[in-house]
Amino acid sequence: MTSREEILARLRNNRPHSTDYVLPSLPLLGERTATRQRFEENLKDLGGQVLEQQEGEIFSEAIARCFPDEKVICSAVPEFDGTLRLENIISPQQADKVDVLVVRSPFGIVETGSVFLSEKELQHRNFAAHLTQHIVVLLSEKNLIANMHVAYDQRTEFREARYGVLMSGPSATADIQGVLIRGAQGVRTLRIWWE
Amino acid sequence: MKRSTPVNHAKAAEKFMKDTAHARFHDKRLWDLRQKRDQQMHLLPEWQELRTLASQIKEHTLAHLPEYLEQFEANALKNGVHVHWATDAAEHNRIVGEILEKHGVRTLIKSKSMVTEECEMAPYLTQCDVQVIETDLGERIQQLDNQMPSHIVVPAVHKLASDVAKLFAQHYHTAPDDDDPHSLAWAQRLAARPVILSADAGMTGVNFAVAETGSFVVCTNEGNADLSATVPKLHIATLGIEKLIPRMADLGVFIRLLSRSALGSPITQYTTHFRAPQKGSEMHVVLVDNGRSHRLGMEEFWTSLKCIRCGACMNTCPVYRRSGGLSYGAVYSGPIGVIIDPTFNERKYSTLPFASTMNGSCTHVCPVKINIHEQIYQWRGVLANHHELPFVKREIMRMVGKILGRPKLYRAMVQGAETTLNVLPRFLLYRTMNPWGKNRTLPRPVQQTFHAWYKEHRVKKNRNT
Repeated sequence: MTSREEILARLRNNRPHSTDYVLPSLPLLGERTATRQRFEENLKDLGGQVLEQQEGEIFSEAIARCFPDEKVICSAVPEFDGTLRLENIISPQQADKVDVLVVRSPFGIVETGSVFLSEKELQHRNFAAHLTQHIVVLLSEKNLIANMHVAYDQRTEFREARYGVLMSGPSATADIQGVLIRGAQGVRTLRIWWE
Repeated sequence: MKRSTPVNHAKAAEKFMKDTAHARFHDKRLWDLRQKRDQQMHLLPEWQELRTLASQIKEHTLAHLPEYLEQFEANALKNGVHVHWATDAAEHNRIVGEILEKHGVRTLIKSKSMVTEECEMAPYLTQCDVQVIETDLGERIQQLDNQMPSHIVVPAVHKLASDVAKLFAQHYHTAPDDDDPHSLAWAQRLAARPVILSADAGMTGVNFAVAETGSFVVCTNEGNADLSATVPKLHIATLGIEKLIPRMADLGVFIRLLSRSALGSPITQYTTHFRAPQKGSEMHVVLVDNGRSHRLGMEEFWTSLKCIRCGACMNTCPVYRRSGGLSYGAVYSGPIGVIIDPTFNERKYSTLPFASTMNGSCTHVCPVKINIHEQIYQWRGVLANHHELPFVKREIMRMVGKILGRPKLYRAMVQGAETTLNVLPRFLLYRTMNPWGKNRTLPRPVQQTFHAWYKEHRVKKNRNT
């Protein structure tokens, strides 16, 4: 008997009466408004920021204003070049040198201020989203989803992506004496740029 | 099998409490997490409905676990994931060791995983000449200090910044007097990066495994799990078989409950869905039984398998908060540990179900509605029947049983106790006779027992009508 067969046999033998426990159907619970204002409030609660567009400013100018001292600006979006294109990164060691990564997210979740990224947006360089010091995520208001229930119900990315991460603000830790530190081992800051 | 000595929780707790600075901080920090959890709960009017759904989904899954495991396996294989089955800890470690050997792995970076703690994987792999490096800050602190995690979510919560400063000075050569948490966390980031970049393999735990897609979800905050899973070309994920859920949509319920219950934050900073290996990489999943299939057959205790390891029961427990996780002498501490540890070793953990005030707070905060305090009570019965009670406790229980079984004797004793409380000198009450008197004040004796009052008022009144 293989371990697999042994485990399955023991479970079949020991489990409670299976017909007594029915799988409940899932109602779409929770707050259902998907406004930009609510998204921003929740994003800020988790330490994320909004890269506000100043009057007459284009995206590349906003990046230059926000990151005056950062040298390696890596872009994963076609309309902005940065100093390095993501498709030209071939190793994690190279991605580790990136100061700012610019990437577009297909959707955000209002309830938690989260943005979704997968290998599609990260061009099969998933590590780049975590090795960069800072990340700027382009997001469209029309791609806001009200909450987690609606997101898992409607967004096919959860089923299709090989790797799909919901990032809710920057990395964080409170492992030393309960002090909350934004910027632990992954990105130190996360900013949203509305498009 | 060798009879092991029971953990002396009370003695270890006493030692923990003697260090006032640590004990006070520990209590305060965990209560703060409990309060943050409450704030989140009050923001969601559907909170109780979510708990009910979570409980029902888990109970259904456990009752259909063989089918869901087969479905998960079939889908994972279709996705190009290697699936392994481990009946026990030894097999788990052997499987992981073999995968690593096949790939010539010398350094393994890992994120938090209670299963690997349970299996004592790190010492095994060290013997196989694999260097295992914890990348979660709290886990790393515990690893450097050669201690088990003291809490399932915040592993180093029993330490102060000055303790971490000492450890980091020794291992990372930071300034020993710099106990600023910000600079210590920065030191961890700087120390971990090169290790992550040069590691041969990465390992993560699993929070939820979805049967219908063969994918699994890892919920973390520091970014170390995503680094561990995406930087090396080999990712091994290890999970207890109870982590299964049937549908992708079930994640909506569990993700909404998990971090709110654990840390009082609406979601973890990272909620990562792994379905298939990255391009050019390999992904392995190890399904671990290690006593779970046996526990499923325990009529009173199988629902403990619903646990999603949020730690809310620990944060709220007055005994846990005051005694510290390490005092339980087990991988799983606090209320949830108390009801699952004896399934691993009944004698060794026979003392743990007595580390409870039975206040039921654990049950009330549990996001999957495990009746934790009732199971604690039931474990006491099981242990008594199996003669795993210490002599003094057994004798006291025998006497109490006799008294409670005879109402007249009980009433006489209660009257007597009230008088005794009034007249006994303090040193006797609080030092010699009564272990409950340690760190506690006994209630002021009442003038009249309830029974006497009832006899005087109600019985008379009834006669009048």
